[in-house]
Amino acid sequence: MLRQIAIVSLLNFRNLRQRLWPSLVIVAGMTCVIGVLLSMLSMTEGLHQAYLNSGDPRNAIVVSRGTIWEINSSIARDKARMVMDMPGIARAQDGSPIADPSLMVGVPSWLKKNGGRTWVILRGFGEKGAMLQPSFHLVAGRTFRPGTHELIVGSRARFQVAGMAIGDKVILPDGEWPIVGAFATGDVRDGQLVGDTETLMLAVRHKAYNTVLVRLASPDAFATFRRALTTNPALAVDVMRLPDWNVKASADFSKFMHVIVYGVGIILAVGALFACFNTMYAAVASRGREIATLRALGYSGFAVAVSVVLEAAALSIAGALIGALIAWSLYDGVQSGFASDVFTLIVSPSMFGMAVLWAIAVAILGGLLPSIQAARWTVTEALRAK
Amino acid sequence: MKYLPLVWAALRRKPVRTCVTFLSVTVAFILFGLMIGLNATVESVAQRARTDRVWTGTRFDNAGLPMAVAKRVAGLPGVKRTTVMSYLPGYIADPKNRIFVVLVDGEYGRIYPDWGITAQHWDMLGRQRNAVVMSRKQAALLHKKVGDIVTVISPETSRADGSKNWTFQVVGLGEDISLAPAGYIVGNYDYYDQSRPLADQGKINEVDFLAADPAAATRLAEEIDRLFANSATPTLSQTEASALAISNNFGGMDVETVTREITLAGLLMILFFTATVIAQSVRERLAELATLKTIGYSDAIVIALVVVEAALPCLVGAVLGVTVAAGLAQQLPAMMPPTFGIPQPTMAPSVVLWALISACALALASSALPVWRLRRMDIASALSGRT
Repeated sequence: MLRQIAIVSLLNFRNLRQRLWPSLVIVAGMTCVIGVLLSMLSMTEGLHQAYLNSGDPRNAIVVSRGTIWEINSSIARDKARMVMDMPGIARAQDGSPIADPSLMVGVPSWLKKNGGRTWVILRGFGEKGAMLQPSFHLVAGRTFRPGTHELIVGSRARFQVAGMAIGDKVILPDGEWPIVGAFATGDVRDGQLVGDTETLMLAVRHKAYNTVLVRLASPDAFATFRRALTTNPALAVDVMRLPDWNVKASADFSKFMHVIVYGVGIILAVGALFACFNTMYAAVASRGREIATLRALGYSGFAVAVSVVLEAAALSIAGALIGALIAWSLYDGVQSGFASDVFTLIVSPSMFGMAVLWAIAVAILGGLLPSIQAARWTVTEALRAK
Repeated sequence: MKYLPLVWAALRRKPVRTCVTFLSVTVAFILFGLMIGLNATVESVAQRARTDRVWTGTRFDNAGLPMAVAKRVAGLPGVKRTTVMSYLPGYIADPKNRIFVVLVDGEYGRIYPDWGITAQHWDMLGRQRNAVVMSRKQAALLHKKVGDIVTVISPETSRADGSKNWTFQVVGLGEDISLAPAGYIVGNYDYYDQSRPLADQGKINEVDFLAADPAAATRLAEEIDRLFANSATPTLSQTEASALAISNNFGGMDVETVTREITLAGLLMILFFTATVIAQSVRERLAELATLKTIGYSDAIVIALVVVEAALPCLVGAVLGVTVAAGLAQQLPAMMPPTFGIPQPTMAPSVVLWALISACALALASSALPVWRLRRMDIASALSGRT
C-alpha cells in the first residue's frame, strides 16, 4: 500500500509542471495567509517574551490580595516592613533583607513618531532597588540623588518619547523633575522612568507603596516565603515569582491580541482552503484518464486519494514556508513598541512549525473532497472523461 | 441584457467551481468589511469630535482637582464657557454591573448640546437634587424606567455619613451617543459634592470648556497645563478631537495602515485564485468563444462576456461578504476580554462603495490575461482545438 502511495504521488509530482499555474494558487494563497499571520504574531510573541524576560527569576513580587494591575496594588508602610522581615528573603552583607518597596506612577506622554498619547511608567527605587535588578545599569549622565526631585530615563523612552531627553523636565505634582541620567536593562523597563520612592510618594501624596520586590534566598525559598506571607493573618497579600507576575499582567492584552490575530488568520485560511479545494478538484478532473489507468493497473482508490492530499499538502507547505520566510526576513529582530512598552519582534522556529501545521490542515480540509472523488470514480467512468 | 443567459450558462458550466470562487471572494470581503469598517468607525468618531471643546482633567490619578482650577480656567481669555464634572464610580445591585455616574453642573448641557438629553431633562437635573438621566441602552441593561430609585454602591467614594450607598431617581431617558458607547448616567454635581465629607468637598474630576476660537483651543490647553504644572494637582488638557484621535487610543499604533495591509493581502490572495479560475474557464471554452466570433459577435462583446463572467461572483461575493461582516461586527465585543475593546466596525456607505470598487478591480485584474489572449486568438486554430 505504501509503495502504491509513493509511486502515485511521485507520478503526480512529475507532471505537476503541466498544472503549474493552478498549483501556484495554493502556494500563493498560503504565502498570504502565513505571511500576514506570522507578521502579526511576531508582535504578540515579542511582547510576551519581553514580559517574560523582564523579571529576574530570583525575584518575587508581593502585591495586595486580588490585585490584577500593579498600579492598583496597595501595601501600607507597616505591612511592607512586615513583608521584608519574612523568612526566605536573601540578606545583604550587613544582614538587611534584599527587598525594596516600590511605587508606580503613570506619566502621560507623547510618542515622537506620531504624537500618539501613552503613559510612561515612573517607578520608585529605594536603596535596594538597583541591587534587585542586576541588569540595571547607567548608560549616560548620573543617577538620581535620594531625597531630590530627580529622575533617570530608560534608554528607549529617552529617544522614543517626546520630552524625555537628559535635561528635560517631567511634570509631576509640586513641580517639574529634571532627568539627570539614562539607564538600560535590555527589556521592557527601558521604556520607563525611575526616581526615588520616598520622595515620589510625598509628591504624588500616596500613603502606601504599590508592591514589595524581594530577592529570594534560594529558588526553593519561594515556598517558605509564600507560606509565611499567606498564613500571617495580619497581611492580605499575594506573592508570585516576578516572571510569572509579568506574564499574568500581560495575559489580558495577549488574549485581546490573539483574538484579533487568529481571527484574521482563520478568515484568510478559509479563503485559502477554498482555493486549495478548487485547484485539487480541477487537478483530479484533468487527470481522469490517468487515474483510471492506474486503477485499471490495480492501484487502490485509497492510494490515489492519499496522493491527491499529499500533493495539496506539499504545495501548501511550500507556500506556508515562503510566507513564514517573508515574515521572518521582514520582522524578526526588529525593534518595536506598543504604548510605552518597547520590545523586539520575534518570528520563532516554533512559529514556522505552526505555519506548517496550518498548511497541512488547509491541505487536508481542502483536498479531502477532491481526493474522495478521485478514489470513487469507476474505471469506465474515468476513462470516458475528457 | 440579452447576453446575460450566455454568462449564466458559462457560470453554470462548472457549478462547483463557480460556488467555490464565490465563497472565497465572500470570505475575502468579510475580512475587508471588518478591517475597513473598523477604519470607518474610527474616522467617524474623529470627524464628529469637536476641536473647540477642551477637556482638562487631573494629570495624575489622585484625589481630583480643586474647584479653584475651574475658576482660573473660566477667567482665561479665549475661554467662552466652562462646566465642571465628577465621576462617581460604583455598581448597581451586583459588583459585575460596573457603572459610573457623571455628575455635572448646570452649564454642561450648553457645552454638550449633542449629548442626547433634552433641554427639559437638563432642567430637571438642575432642579431635583438626586435626579439622574440614563441613556436608553443603560436603562435597558439595568432594567430601570422613569421614576425608579437607583442605589449606586461606590466602594471608592463615601458620603459624609460614612455610607457608600448613593441613591438617585431616574427622571428621564436620553438618547445614546457615540461619545459614551457603553451608555451613560448623568446626575447633579451639587447634590454629590454636598453629600461628601467636608474634607473632600469642592473637588472635581474635569473642567470642560469651549474655546471662543477653535484654532486657539490647542494653545489654550497647553497654556492651562503650564499654568498648573507647578501646583499640587497638575492638569492634563486636550481638545476632544485629539483625545479621541486613534493614535491616542491604540498605543501609538497606526491602525489604518495595518488594517489596509491586511485587507490588501486578503485581496491579493483572492486575485490569484479568481485569475486562475477565469483563465481555466476561458481555456475550456475557446472553441465556443471562437464560434461566437465566427457568427458575427464583435470582439468587444466576447470580451465583455468574459469580464462579466468574472465580475458576477466578485460583486455578489463582495456584497454578501460585507453583509456577513456587519453581522460579525455585532458579535465582536462579546469575544474580547472584558478590560479591552476595539471600536465596533460599521459598514458605512464608504465601506460598501470601496468594497464594490475593489470587487470591480478584482474582476478586471483577474480577467486581464484571458482577455489579452482572446484578442490575439486565431479563430481557425481555436475552432480546431489547436491552441
